Amino acid sequence: MRSVPASRLARNELAGGDAEPLLRVTGLTVRFGDFVALRDVSLDLYGRGIHAVIGPNGAGKSTLFNAISGFAKPEHGNVHFGNADVTGERADRLARLGLARSFQMCATFPDLSVADNVRTALLRDVTGIGLLRRRGGEKLDPAIEGLLEETGLSSERYRRAADLSYGRRRLLEIVTTLALRPKLLLLDEPMAGLAREDIPAVTRLIDKAAEDCAVLFVEHNLPVVERLAKRVTVLAGGSVLCEGSYREVASDPRVREAYIGDVGDV
Amino acid sequence: MFDLVLGYLIIGLVNGSFYALLSLGLALIFGLLNVLNMTHGALYMMGAFAAWAAVEKLGFGYLPAIGLASVGVGAAGIVIERCLLRHTYKLDPLYGFMLTFGLTTAIQGVFQVQFGSTGLPFAPPAWLAGGVDLGFMFFPTYRLWVVVVALAICLGLWLVIERTSAGATLRAASENAGIAEALGVRVPKVLTATFGIGAALAGLAGALAAPVYQVSPLMGSDILLVVFAIIVVGGMGSIGGTILASYCLAIIEALIQAFYPQAANIVIFAFMCVVLMVRPQGLFGISVVRRHEFRAARLPATREAGIAAMPVLTPVVVGAAIVAALALLPLFVYPIYLVKIFCFAIFAVSFNFLLGFAGIVSFGQAALFGTAAYITAQALKVWALPVELAMLAGIAAAIALGLIMGAFAIRRRGIYQAMITLAVAQMVYFAYVQAAFTHGEDGIHSVPRGILFGLIDLRDDRAVYALAAVALLAVFLGLRGLLSSRLGLLLVAIRDDERRALSLGHNVNALKVAAFAIASACAGLAGTLSAVAFQLATLSGAHWHLSGEAVLMALIGGIGTLTGPLVGAVVLVTMQQFLVPFGAWVLVIQGVVFALSVLLFRDGLVAWIGPALKRTRSWPTFRPSAAIQSGTRP
Ligand SMILES: Nc1ncnc2c1ncn2[C@@H]1O[C@H](COP(=O)(O)OP(=O)(O)OP(=O)(O)O)[C@@H](O)[C@H]1O
Ligand SMILES: [Mg+2]
Repeated sequence: MRSVPASRLARNELAGGDAEPLLRVTGLTVRFGDFVALRDVSLDLYGRGIHAVIGPNGAGKSTLFNAISGFAKPEHGNVHFGNADVTGERADRLARLGLARSFQMCATFPDLSVADNVRTALLRDVTGIGLLRRRGGEKLDPAIEGLLEETGLSSERYRRAADLSYGRRRLLEIVTTLALRPKLLLLDEPMAGLAREDIPAVTRLIDKAAEDCAVLFVEHNLPVVERLAKRVTVLAGGSVLCEGSYREVASDPRVREAYIGDVGDV
Repeated sequence: MFDLVLGYLIIGLVNGSFYALLSLGLALIFGLLNVLNMTHGALYMMGAFAAWAAVEKLGFGYLPAIGLASVGVGAAGIVIERCLLRHTYKLDPLYGFMLTFGLTTAIQGVFQVQFGSTGLPFAPPAWLAGGVDLGFMFFPTYRLWVVVVALAICLGLWLVIERTSAGATLRAASENAGIAEALGVRVPKVLTATFGIGAALAGLAGALAAPVYQVSPLMGSDILLVVFAIIVVGGMGSIGGTILASYCLAIIEALIQAFYPQAANIVIFAFMCVVLMVRPQGLFGISVVRRHEFRAARLPATREAGIAAMPVLTPVVVGAAIVAALALLPLFVYPIYLVKIFCFAIFAVSFNFLLGFAGIVSFGQAALFGTAAYITAQALKVWALPVELAMLAGIAAAIALGLIMGAFAIRRRGIYQAMITLAVAQMVYFAYVQAAFTHGEDGIHSVPRGILFGLIDLRDDRAVYALAAVALLAVFLGLRGLLSSRLGLLLVAIRDDERRALSLGHNVNALKVAAFAIASACAGLAGTLSAVAFQLATLSGAHWHLSGEAVLMALIGGIGTLTGPLVGAVVLVTMQQFLVPFGAWVLVIQGVVFALSVLLFRDGLVAWIGPALKRTRSWPTFRPSAAIQSGTRP
């Protein structure tokens, strides 16, 4: 899986070319009462690589994620995932199809242990009588054990998630999401609220995740965006302002304008 | 025909006036304090008594009397808010709800002790006596007066809230208390004032209602649930919406009263169910995820599966000790008394399991209990089924009803869920009030106990005790197994963070309904046991006061603990037994215990006893869940 030729990777990620996109968002509009949070947003995403969405506060980034992942109903527009039209599909079904997400406010299950948190992701396909079986043994499967090991969560597997530091909880959230073995990973501001020293670990984890799936992430921390993202979409006032490589986007005068008074310099 | 319809329309307007005054106050309090005020019905009743006393005992005129009633009840509300409710603001909103639940029981109890349960007549003043000839019909002047006063007050309040700066302050505080505080609003004062105003409105409604209905201690108990349903329908999004919903639903109710009186009691609840299915946020509500719906019902007492709270001996020793204790107990204690404790414990489990382990608030468990009791009693007495089949039928009926109730309840969360389950249960209760087979107030009596499996003669109390003991053991073992199962894991996950569970691919609604079914089976088992053991099934078995007792037991023992319900049942049943000589004071004392438990012993007795036992114990733990509790830092 990892030996995809670099040339193909680049073509898929950057040009789109002839390959089908993994995620195709067309003309998405989301409304809250009279307020249009998202207006006619389109976005294509290919099989692998990291794509970032940036934009000032209230631009509609989280709303875009919610609409893609089944947490907000779009008024117009379509979301295609894989070969299927999944517009308005239920969030849990999307997750089972391979579209996984994290939340802006780090979401773990505080009363469950680290191991049980990860286990919840592994149980996603269990239904009916299977649910009455005892919880699994101590070992999770090797790939996930590897992730726990790498992130240093392995030694804390019996601790309640509530007792972890924020940075560790964020790692746990992402590892749990990866345990779903998603085709597409949506991360909503993975660096938000992290201490400076926690950022490299999360960055590494995202980088590693991108070896096996496509990643779409929202982030305010622009150096991280620059380091990770091959492609960047800028959202402002609910619409797409522009899209391109980090360099192209950063030098776009409209982007600077949108950010004035928000971040200051881009 | 036309006259008749018009006449009922006006009756609807009168009822709508009471609903509007009550729901307005409730919605204001809910919006600002995030408290679902169960005392609202009691405040309404106090208003009626205050007006009655002012006229009959103190010799006031009618107008000063209603003024006095509103102000007096408003003042009582302020006392409640300042002294008691204030302490729950930092907690899960459910505690505020439970506190007012307990207070209501106590207040109603006091009035019952003083005035008995029969209604006191209260005549309208001479100048409002008689009627007005509207041309097509003759209409009592007093009712017209009620409508005019209520409409004027609603309109006035609506204008104040929407148009004045005081109203803007109120709205700001309800949108975001933190920001309002930063802007110089003295939020605590605003909260007190709001509660006072809400209480005064309830008092006024009661005073106005006194001449229409009779003045009695329980007059506020049933109207409160109707008002809950109205609020769910209206959606609390806007003051105007609440008022409109009150009048519309009252008119619909009155029209049904005209054409199909049997359904009149339940029509508002049925309407609520329909609205929940079509538009869960309510007709005028803004969006489903409102600020007031806390994201997950997390109560501090919810420990990992509750297992770690028990001292961990080897299972064989513990098992043998428990069985021996169960076998020896009836030698010392009257068996039927123990059966009552076991019944109540199983019943409390059904509430505690839902709230503590699945984060679902159900205040309607009595409907399930009552259903199982009625069906079992009917099956034994009328259908003459063998007792094991009768019990199965009772449990199955409870599960079926539970699935329906669950389907509605899971449409919303938290406090709304409490209201919905209360309302659905009330609908069931009214159905039983009217159904012929339940024999109304009398209930089904002298139910034959029968012979279990054709072998065990249940006419012997000890046999019934054995049956109850087996049931209790089965419930606790089953629950323990469940909590260490995958389902248990997922339920705790959903309780912790529903959105997250959804995003991990779990069909949250289906899992919640499954939890509801399990809890219904427990409530049903308790109900069916009670029908067999006490040989009767009555309306009080389906009344929401019984649901309140389930909450109380769980609270006393410890919400979210495995053994809490049993401890709570021992305390409650024993307390009720000892308080029998005090007659009507039982309710008062029970209410006070309830309120005090919320304020002082929120974590329950098990949380006290558990750690104490743990500290003295030296044997090693072997469960991962125990390891989680004492996890070591790296
Ligand atoms: N459920 C909702 N109801 C009403 N308005 C909403 C809702 N969710 C979001 N909004 C509004 O939609 C706009 C976009 O919100 P969104 O959360 O998508 O922004 P964002 O780009 O993620 O911002 P941030 O960087 O602060 O996370 C905001 O103005 C927000 O107030
Ligand atoms: Mg956001």
